[in-house]
Parts: sequence; C-alpha cells; structure tokens
Amino acid sequence: MTILEMADALRAKKVSSLELTNETLEKIARENPRINAFITVTADVARARASAMDAELSHGIDRGPLHGVPFAHKDLVYTKGIRTTGGSKIFKDFVPDHDADIAINLEKAGAVMVGKTNLHEFAYGITSTNPHFGAVRNPWDTDRIPGGSSGGSGAAVAAGILPFATGTDTGGSIRIPASFCGVTGLKPTFGLISKRGVMPLGWTMDHMGPITKTVHDCAVAFHAMGGTAADLKSTDIRGMRIGLPVNYYFDKLDLEVSESVRKAVQTAAALGARIVDIKVPDVDAMNVIARVLLLAEATSVHHENLVTRRTDIGADVVTLLDQGRLIRGSDYVDAQRLRRIYCREFSKLWTQVDCIFTPTTPTPAPKIGQMTMKVGSVDEDVRLATTRLMRAINVLGIPALSIPCGFTKAGLPIGLQILGAPRAEDTILRVGAAIEDATGVVGRMP
Amino acid sequence: MTDWKKTAAALDPPIPEPDVEKLLPVMDALEAAFRPLQRSLTPESDVWTGPEDVA
Repeated sequence: MTILEMADALRAKKVSSLELTNETLEKIARENPRINAFITVTADVARARASAMDAELSHGIDRGPLHGVPFAHKDLVYTKGIRTTGGSKIFKDFVPDHDADIAINLEKAGAVMVGKTNLHEFAYGITSTNPHFGAVRNPWDTDRIPGGSSGGSGAAVAAGILPFATGTDTGGSIRIPASFCGVTGLKPTFGLISKRGVMPLGWTMDHMGPITKTVHDCAVAFHAMGGTAADLKSTDIRGMRIGLPVNYYFDKLDLEVSESVRKAVQTAAALGARIVDIKVPDVDAMNVIARVLLLAEATSVHHENLVTRRTDIGADVVTLLDQGRLIRGSDYVDAQRLRRIYCREFSKLWTQVDCIFTPTTPTPAPKIGQMTMKVGSVDEDVRLATTRLMRAINVLGIPALSIPCGFTKAGLPIGLQILGAPRAEDTILRVGAAIEDATGVVGRMP
Repeated sequence: MTDWKKTAAALDPPIPEPDVEKLLPVMDALEAAFRPLQRSLTPESDVWTGPEDVA
C-alpha cells in the first residue's frame, strides 16, 4: 500500500496502525535476509508508537496523512536512544541523545519508525556495498546494487516493505537508488529541509529528502519532513515548458535508458506540455567542481577518524578521504567561486523552461562488485559513470525528482530525472505525478 | 602539476606510501580538469552562497 492508501484505510477503520506496523515487521523478517536493507529494526518501539497513534485517531486526533504510517530512517539520521551507525564500524554503537530535525518533524506528523536502513559507509559512495553491515541488494535482481548511498531506503520501498523512507543526497544518493530500484526520490532545494542532526558528508552539498513508491506519496512525505506543500489534486501540465537538453545528458547512455526517457518526453508532450530544446552549461565542469568540494568537505568531516582509525574504514572510503587530504584550501575556495558562476549561468534556463527532463542514471543497476561497466560502447568506472548526471545538480542546489519511467528487457528499472528552479518542488512534483499517472509504470513490483 | 607523492608525505600524519600510488592517476586527472576552470576566475568572482544567489 502507498502512504495515501494507508491513510484512507486507517481513517475508514479498515486497518489499524498496529496492524500495519506488524505487517511491516513481518515483511522485514521475510525480505531483509534477501536484500539486507535494514541495520536496525525497532519492533517494540514501533508497536508502542503505533498503538499510541491508534489511540489518538480513536480520540479524534488526526495529525495528517502520515498518522500511523510505518517508515524507516536512513541510518545517519539521529534518533534519540536508538543507535545511528552511519553505516560505519566506528559508529556501530553510537546512540544519539537527541533527534534530528527531520525525525522530530516526522514524529510530529504521526509517522511510525520501524527501523534504520543500511547505506554506503558514511554515505560516501553509490553502491551501498557496506563492508561492516553487508551489501544491500536490489529487490529487482539481488545480484545487483540498489544504488547509494541511500540504498537500504530505496530497496525497502521497492520491495514493498515500507511506503516511504528518508534519504540524503550529496552527489545523487537519493536519486540513484530511486533510479536503480524503480521508486521515487526527491532531492529538494538546498537548505529547504533541515540537516540538523543528520551525519554530514559535504556541508554545502548535503540534501535531505524522501524516497517513496509514488510521486503523490513523495509530496506528502516531503511536506511532513519540513518541505513546502505541493497541490497535486490537478496534474494538468498543458502549456508547461519542459526543457530537453541537446547537449551532455543524452550523449553517453545505455540505449534502453535513452529510449525510455525519450518516451517519457513524448508522454509529456501528449499531455499538452511544450518540449523546448535547451543547451545546458558545461556539466563536466560542474562535476569537477563537485568533486573538489566533496573531497575537501568529506575529509573535513571524517579527518579525525581517518587518521586515528584508518583500518576501521572501508578501503573505497579511505581512498576518497585520502584524496580529500590532498585538496588545497585555495582550490576549495576557488571551487566555491566557480560554483557561483555556473549557478548563475544555469539559472538563465529558467526563463526558457519550467523544468528539465534528463535520465537519472546512464544505465540500469550494475552488479554487486562490478568496478567498470559498458555505457554504450565505452567501458567506464561505475562510480563516475553513475554520478555523471547527478553531481552538478548538487553543485547548483536545485530540486530534482527521480521517477521510474520504464524497464529494460531484463526487467530492471529506468529513472527519469526532472529538474526545477530553486524552490520549484511543486512544479517538478506536478509534472512527475502527471507522467506517473499516464505511464502506470509505478504499479509494477519486483 | 602537483607532486602528490611529496604532498602526501608532508602531511601529518603522512598518507601511507602504498596508498598514495592509487591516488596518483585520479588526482592528476582532477587537477588537469580543474586548473583551466580556475584560470577563468577574476578578482570579482565571489563564493557561492546558495541556490538562489543568481542576481
């Protein structure tokens, strides 16, 4: 069930929050050995909370659509009294003494946390092949990665365990799992949702956001997390100007990804949107800026642990943290100066279009342990290829939604990325909902 | 171009030598891509302050 279906069923007294929670815990017990999406399951706390939410509803207290709905936090969101590992051996027993702001907001909204989801160590990677808590597996093909770093959240939602989970996105960590797992992920405008109480990775590029099954649910979860309200009662996109990049975004793609995204463009046109060819500023340059910024910021976050507990950190993350030690202070500042230039350049596009369609990832999910992959006819590093259409968006800080738009012949999901101007979440959610309603892709389950 | 081995050795603590070798191609490529961008900066180029800093 989706969030909205659960909300309806709870209010119609067809089901209780405790029943939904017990059912969710049963699904975790059944599915988690297969996909390893959870690090911690909080069964007793969840049942007590669900009973309290049921009692409130029976007394006429209604906190809104998330009241009584089960969900999970990515395990770098601080939860008071419940361990928060960051996917790291170093923090395996860390129990925060306070909640993150998004945990407080979701608690106020009445949601019922059932556990904490697995992730790439420190959220610093895109595979979620975690050396300390085990690899998260993609529910569509358990030999494949779910993407990362919010891989457990993406896999849990895709497997139908939960209607939503929280995620963070510093270089694609919400959108990549959404694309590889065939679910919806929203990276909102930078700073719109509070990061307080969430383990940082890159202070000027970290974004919090929801991962859900549907766009309609995404709007609900985004609002409850502290975002703005989006009215999706009407998904009329007639006259909407949708930008289609003629450079970069369609240059190096898996053929099936290209075909699916172009089909989504045709669907938008059939719904009355106007497709406008656009030329985007130098994305390669923005990706380079993103790497300089993230290498320096992530090493600033984890420097102490890197030098004192090097062997307790996974080899891939150590390599990235070492690279960060080599970035000069002046280069970091120059990257922030370049960022402003590209941000201003990119913002000119918003006079021509209301949103932009791109693929989310250039390929479907690669296999676990795969280091390189074929994109078209070229062999590329999995991490660099997977983040190629992602990183620049974190540099810009603009909102980006990933929704499923099709499947490969092998049955793997394909993601469509919809970009909007700063604070235009309502626009991209409306367009995403229109595409979702028109294609029916979202109904398919692993 | 930066001598990464020398830089890594000068850090406190230094990056272990066997690990430095792995970093060299990546750092060289990153530097080769970043320096030309850096040269486009002018004294008026200020730092980014947020996604709406577009005036």
